[in-house]
Amino acid sequence: MLQKREKVLLLRTFQGRTLRIVREHYLRPSVPCNSPLCPQPATCHNDGKLLSSDVTHYMIPDWKVVQDYLEILEFPELKGIIFMQTACQTLQHQRGRRQYNKLRHLLKDARHDCVLFANEFQQHCYHPRERGESMEKWQTRSIYRAAVWYYHHCQDKMPIVMVTEDEEAVQQYGSETEGVFVISFKGVLNVNKHRAQIEAFVRLQGASCKDSGLVSDILVHGMKARNRSIHGDVVVVELLPKNEWKGRTAALCENDSDDKALGDPPSEPMPTGKVVGILQKNWRDYVVTFPSKEEVQSQGKNAQKILVTPWDNRIPKIRISTQQTEALQDFRVVVRIDSWESTSLYPNGHFVRVLGRIGDLEGEIATILVENSISVVPFSEAQMCEMPVNTPENPWKVSPEEERERKDLRETHLVFSIDPKGCEDVDDTLSVRTLANGNLELGVHIADVTHFVPPNSYIDIEARTRAITYYLADRRYDMLPSILSADLCSLLGGVDRYAVSVIWELDKTSYEIKTVWYSRTIIRSAYKLFYEAAQELLDGNFHIVDDIPEFRDLDEKSRQAKLEELVWAIGKLTEIARHIRAKRDRCGALELEGVEIRVQLDEKKNIHDLIPRQPLEVHETVAECMILANHWVAKKIWESFPHQALLRQHPPPQQEFFSELRECAKAKGFFIDTRSNKTLADSLDNANDPNDPIVNRLLRSMATQAMSNALYFSTGSCAEEEFHHYGLALDKYTHFTSPIRRYSDIVVHRLLMAAISKDKKMEIKDNLLSNKDLEELCRHINNRNRAAQHSQKQSTELFQCMYFKDKDPENEARCISDGVIYSIRTNGVLVFIPRFGIKGAAYLRNKDGLVISCGSDSRSEWKPGSLQRFQNKITSTTTGGESVTFHLFDHVTVRISVQASRCHSDTIRLEIISNKPYLIPDKELFHQSSLLLKSDLVKEVTRSVEEAQLAQEVKVNVIQEDYQKYCQTKGRSLYTLLEEIRDLALLDVSNSYGM
Amino acid sequence: MAGLELLSDQGYRVDGRRAGELRRIQARMGVFAQADGSAYIEQGNTKALAVVYGPHEIRGSRARALPDRALVNCQYSSATFSTGERKRRPHGDRKSCEMGLQLRQTFEAAILTQLHPRSQIDIYVQVLQADGGTYAACVNAATLAVLDAGVPMRDFVCACSAGFVDSTALADLSHVEEAAGGPQLALALLPASGQIALLEMDARLHEDHLESVLEAAARAARDVHTLLDRVVRQHVREASVLLGD
Repeated sequence: MLQKREKVLLLRTFQGRTLRIVREHYLRPSVPCNSPLCPQPATCHNDGKLLSSDVTHYMIPDWKVVQDYLEILEFPELKGIIFMQTACQTLQHQRGRRQYNKLRHLLKDARHDCVLFANEFQQHCYHPRERGESMEKWQTRSIYRAAVWYYHHCQDKMPIVMVTEDEEAVQQYGSETEGVFVISFKGVLNVNKHRAQIEAFVRLQGASCKDSGLVSDILVHGMKARNRSIHGDVVVVELLPKNEWKGRTAALCENDSDDKALGDPPSEPMPTGKVVGILQKNWRDYVVTFPSKEEVQSQGKNAQKILVTPWDNRIPKIRISTQQTEALQDFRVVVRIDSWESTSLYPNGHFVRVLGRIGDLEGEIATILVENSISVVPFSEAQMCEMPVNTPENPWKVSPEEERERKDLRETHLVFSIDPKGCEDVDDTLSVRTLANGNLELGVHIADVTHFVPPNSYIDIEARTRAITYYLADRRYDMLPSILSADLCSLLGGVDRYAVSVIWELDKTSYEIKTVWYSRTIIRSAYKLFYEAAQELLDGNFHIVDDIPEFRDLDEKSRQAKLEELVWAIGKLTEIARHIRAKRDRCGALELEGVEIRVQLDEKKNIHDLIPRQPLEVHETVAECMILANHWVAKKIWESFPHQALLRQHPPPQQEFFSELRECAKAKGFFIDTRSNKTLADSLDNANDPNDPIVNRLLRSMATQAMSNALYFSTGSCAEEEFHHYGLALDKYTHFTSPIRRYSDIVVHRLLMAAISKDKKMEIKDNLLSNKDLEELCRHINNRNRAAQHSQKQSTELFQCMYFKDKDPENEARCISDGVIYSIRTNGVLVFIPRFGIKGAAYLRNKDGLVISCGSDSRSEWKPGSLQRFQNKITSTTTGGESVTFHLFDHVTVRISVQASRCHSDTIRLEIISNKPYLIPDKELFHQSSLLLKSDLVKEVTRSVEEAQLAQEVKVNVIQEDYQKYCQTKGRSLYTLLEEIRDLALLDVSNSYGM
Repeated sequence: MAGLELLSDQGYRVDGRRAGELRRIQARMGVFAQADGSAYIEQGNTKALAVVYGPHEIRGSRARALPDRALVNCQYSSATFSTGERKRRPHGDRKSCEMGLQLRQTFEAAILTQLHPRSQIDIYVQVLQADGGTYAACVNAATLAVLDAGVPMRDFVCACSAGFVDSTALADLSHVEEAAGGPQLALALLPASGQIALLEMDARLHEDHLESVLEAAARAARDVHTLLDRVVRQHVREASVLLGD
């Protein structure tokens, strides 16, 4: 019997001292492998219990998995488990006797199909720990090497799966040896919105998903492979063998259509897997619609159990049992999922409450809110009790203690705010003045919300839950009660308010920042300007003065002096902002005025953002000052609390996402350099088609879509290099300037206050959040942010649909518009309509298989034929030989119509009616309307809905009166029908439009 | 240390050996030129050096001389750096004295002392690293040194320790196994005849098990003999080559 000898050097501490102990370690050429596949059972001495040979693979758990999930591994259903000695010893050391004995019994128990492999005593499996290698890494490495050896020992007959929680290990070993798979558990299931029945994707958790060649997501094809998991669940996925991999479909298709679209050749195969387990369910409230009467009947006898269709396409139908099917037919209803039997095609759920009628504005808005898990109950009594009082009888005053502690800027500084017209919650004001030494002093004053919202008060908890003020197309849901948001925290003109100020001293000529200080202050804003007025003042048009209420009651002389002072301040601010902006531009700040991003990157999140913004310089000036304040505050809190500061990062995008952008730009002859934010910004500036400004806009929005979203994070959980804000080209950034609207800003305010106290060597009053708590909070805020964006987008779409719903697409001039093709698919094109800001799909092949063709008058017709897709164009050829080609960025004329849907939200539908640009009948009208359209649209829809409601009420009253007066029947009479038609006429708003 | 498992369910000991397996033994004879005989042995991490002088005249008081046989004088010492914690005194403490006494008894039984009356044989043993089984290592080293000195012996004296854990006898205990505090048995054997030169046991062990532990120790001692025999033959071969034979 041959024995080799090796030594293990162990350093261990004993009573605080380090003691170096040398132990022997004997290796042998063969240890029992206990596998029936072993080629030489005699040398291996396999006399104990053997693994079964009928399993598909052997599973080797990593040490951490053995430690944490031993209970799971104890399931007798799990077969073919090999416990490595390394893992067992770690368990023994770290989890103690009890756990180890459990494992020992498991190994002894003949019913459990698991064995121990003494890898550390096997001469080929043993790997000494390297210098500087951490214990954990060494253990994982040993286990992996042993797994590889075991695989080869069994003559590569049995694949081995090593299960680990260590992302790095997955990355490092995942693709090293064929047949030995290293998997980690987690990924979030994302169901494809448009092909809910067939495709779903799993995105691996964490940034490091580039393991085992899995650059992209994992495709889960079909409902069966999805294994009862629902959109948003955290699932475990098993990869299928390569020959079963499938590609994703590139063709456009309707959601509810059958598998017709599969006739197209799918794109190249991507990793495909199936869900083998759900780690965390993400069930929430779902909005559903009951099937219509005909459908109920077709469902057969078992009418007690109803299949309802969720509003969200990605959610499968839910089976609920109710007796109220008839009554709830026309309503949107909230249900919850209770269970999902493994034998069932659909989950079981129960009815919760009714939201509103289908198609009704309030009902639809409520649907959007529920779907985004936004809860907007009014503030409770207890919460309101915490609020300060400000009534005419009992006005709120600056308290003397605060006056002593705060710096008083009321007399010394000219403070003013610039906001959109009609804005109630003014949370930022600006000031600029010349100091005695000639230098400039720039100040940004932010409402001091934290003064009124103590940590962990009821209102604080509520605000944390809401996390953000939700702006829908026609309304908003505040984060703080209106007494704060619109009054005491709002920096209105002419009243004393508490503020938190960031004040810089700037060099008089170069505008370089010399000093900065942060403080709690008292301010009195002198002017509450709106953007347009400020711009006029900046341009030197003083006729606007009459629109500014602060100037109204002044006599001519003082008015002139004050005006000059204000104009100087605005002018100076603009100059400073230009300078700062230029500096940031040199670092590569991006101007991403995308169609959708506009809302996100803008400092001033407000309802006016729905209007395609008129590019005023004042906007930029204010935004720049806010960015500057945010940046400096971020620096400050990070310096004071390097491990628990809340910052905002914008990670650099992945280059592969830019490929579409580059392709599109190439079609127009532009080259987009995406290597860094600087080159991207420059090349986007250059990519400007003088004949078609829309091209640049589209390219910018594409660039935006390729990027990831900016996120809040806690500095303790990220490396410093990752703090970078890609879009703004700043190394540190946070949100500080809108505490009325965002909870993140409240957190930042508290951090800043603590930082100031720390500088003064004072005790920090509030308990700051630890890194872990802050991380948790960031996740919540990010989540809510996303919900806010989705709800805003969905509500805009809702209004668009409601607007077009009442129009007759065949006759109405407004429904025909100019569109630009921005993406090509196999059976259609994606079109952007600049006039309405709508993006949508237009088919080139209709449901009957006919393709589009354009005659000499460029009118389109449907004819039999075929489509051919190229990189930058798509050609439709009819059997008659006529052909028409659509290029990227071609202008076409489209007809907009609404595709009504009972169970889901309505969708805008586009149809190409001509391959020539749409000739605008009236140029002037177009220009005017394009700017005002969206807000008008919202107003119109709201009004028409109100009118309709009013009419309905009147009608009901009339009917009741009639009933009492003339004892008429309750049913529908011709009179009411005519009345209804009259009411419908009110809905026609085309005449009022464009005035 | 509390939960250290001396013998796993799979039959492995802490260092990877099975119950009856010895640690690796490496030995050399004739490591010193000026001594009559010398040897160095490594049993695992236990390392011992043995030197033999004699037979020579009685040194010191003549009264100690034995009229019919040679006097075997054994001295045991342990280097200060031999254990995990540094030792204060290398020799002369109680433990060393006792060990010297045991060695003397062992070798008086093995050396043909009657061939050298009124003379003295000195055996000095030093342990350089103690990792369990020091007695056995000392005996084995001394055997080789005595052989190297050309002092006639009845047979090799081969020693090995044995322990008893989980109703299994373990051969050749390492320091970890000794420190665990189970019964421990040291056996010096004259392998050819199977005679026991010395047997010593610490701690209590049930009589029923003694047989098996003794058997394990004896088997291990015979294994040691095989190895030592190989070392001696190798040494003689090398020596004869050097002599130009």
